[in-house]
Amino acid sequence: MIEARGLTKRYGSTLAVDDLSFTVRPGIVTGFLGPNGAGKTTSMRLILGLDAPTAGTVTIGGRPHRHAASPMREVGALLDARAVHGGRSAYNHLLCLAQTNGIPRRRVGEVLEIVGLAGVAGKRSKGFSLGMSQRLGIAAALLGDPAVLMFDEPVNGLDPEGILWIRTLMRSLAAQGRVVFVSSHLMSEMENTADHVIVIGRGRLIADSGMAEFIARNSSQTVLVQTPQPDALVRALVAAGGTVSPSGDQNLEVRGLTVDQVGDIAFAHDIRIYHLAAARISLEQAFMELTANSVDYRAAQPAGPEHGKEA
Amino acid sequence: MAAVTAGLDRPHAAPVLGARAALAGTLRSELTKLRSVRSTYWTMTLLVLAGLAWAVANCAGEAAHWTAADRVGADPTQASIVGLALLGQLVIVVLGALALTSEYSTGMIRTSLIVMPRRGVLYGAKAAVLIAVIGVIAVVTSFAAFFTGQYLLRSTHVTATLTQPGVLRAVVATALYIVLSGLFAFGLGAILRSTAGAMTTAYGLLFLVPQLAKALPSAWYAEVERWLPGGDVVNAITGTQAGNPYPNLFSAWGEFAVFGAYTGVLLIIGALLFGRRDA
Repeated sequence: MIEARGLTKRYGSTLAVDDLSFTVRPGIVTGFLGPNGAGKTTSMRLILGLDAPTAGTVTIGGRPHRHAASPMREVGALLDARAVHGGRSAYNHLLCLAQTNGIPRRRVGEVLEIVGLAGVAGKRSKGFSLGMSQRLGIAAALLGDPAVLMFDEPVNGLDPEGILWIRTLMRSLAAQGRVVFVSSHLMSEMENTADHVIVIGRGRLIADSGMAEFIARNSSQTVLVQTPQPDALVRALVAAGGTVSPSGDQNLEVRGLTVDQVGDIAFAHDIRIYHLAAARISLEQAFMELTANSVDYRAAQPAGPEHGKEA
Repeated sequence: MAAVTAGLDRPHAAPVLGARAALAGTLRSELTKLRSVRSTYWTMTLLVLAGLAWAVANCAGEAAHWTAADRVGADPTQASIVGLALLGQLVIVVLGALALTSEYSTGMIRTSLIVMPRRGVLYGAKAAVLIAVIGVIAVVTSFAAFFTGQYLLRSTHVTATLTQPGVLRAVVATALYIVLSGLFAFGLGAILRSTAGAMTTAYGLLFLVPQLAKALPSAWYAEVERWLPGGDVVNAITGTQAGNPYPNLFSAWGEFAVFGAYTGVLLIIGALLFGRRDA
């Protein structure tokens, strides 16, 4: 179990992690979501004792990792797959990690089999593809058969096969009763993998809930309507309490009103309608809106029409 | 936590580590790290070659041209091992610096600290393995250079044996000086966390500063020289002549202690920073 209480990290004038409190439980995959720069990696570094928190505490299995009785039995982590000495063979890389914790040599061969790198065990990791490096990092994380596994953006840069492999692996590790904590900046990635999500933005906690609950709460119903009189319809819908945003020529996206209500309002105001349909906004869109105020780096966008204005 | 994970079957779980097991394992790990990259073999080969090549060049080449007067003041011990001290420190600085800085440049340090978060253990094991490995190679090379040199000098009838005063001391001290140079760079590496930075600083302190100090007024220089690392210190350590050939310096062991103190300070600062800083 990972427990963070009031976790805070300041680098100079930047508050990278701001008073985070959360618990990551065993037996499920917990997604750690947030846009780039939200503080996910910093949080993971704090959990692993690489950085010292400015305030607050974080423990793995009840202890700060720096005081772990058996570090590799407690946690295995993949932060950056390229963070290995490229001149060392895959086997020797894993061997030198295993030796620190008194893990027998044969375990190195086992994890190489698990991740499918046994054939290149003697090769220097310098020549590995990103996918192979990820597998090597995961092999290192599995060495101590740990109770807690942490992966920082594990699918970045992987091909579909690699993504599926990691997803299946994470699910099976969780099914065995382990804590699996995985960060991503893509909601769509987590939607299929995580049972629980912790969302942060600008270092602060935004959401901490089960995935089903998160979807239910955030993917609200919308109504798409097409009309040659958008002007009049927007006025009528806003007056009825709806929120309207234009989506393309003559098309409006309405929230806060049902399909029936939109139809009735149009009828009552003698407004012609060509198309009327219910739609769900995607989880990705919900996530973007949820974290919109906390994105640090955003591409400048051409100024668009405001809510309720003529399209 | 135990209650929560009671149902978790983990047949391969790493053992619980006592302090002794953690240190023993980390020492093994650091030895594996050192022997599994090519730079170790390159620097060690270079150290041996540099030491022996100088012994051969100096003893076979220069000694052949010694005049009778040269022979009177000649120091055959120094002739055979001074090259190892001079070139060896140059080479070993690379290995000493890389021990930590290569982990920072590759990012390996984060993996190392996740699997062994007891930073004092990791730092101590790194330094200890460095001492052991450099020590073995340096002692063997120092004796090899000495015997090679004496063999080549035999025609001059000015040769030394280990039983003569100061000879064994010079041969051993030369090897230890190489070890200290490696640790000196290791400490700088821990402080600066950059290979280029640590090597440049080490070369600056060991070679440049002693040269620059010569620009000081001679009375000042006479006072300052004994406190500088590098420079003539190498001559004091490798020399066996009676009397006091370097009046500005302490004795060989005295200079050794000065350099040891600098190295110790760097190692301690490095350890404190390593324990405290974000990785």
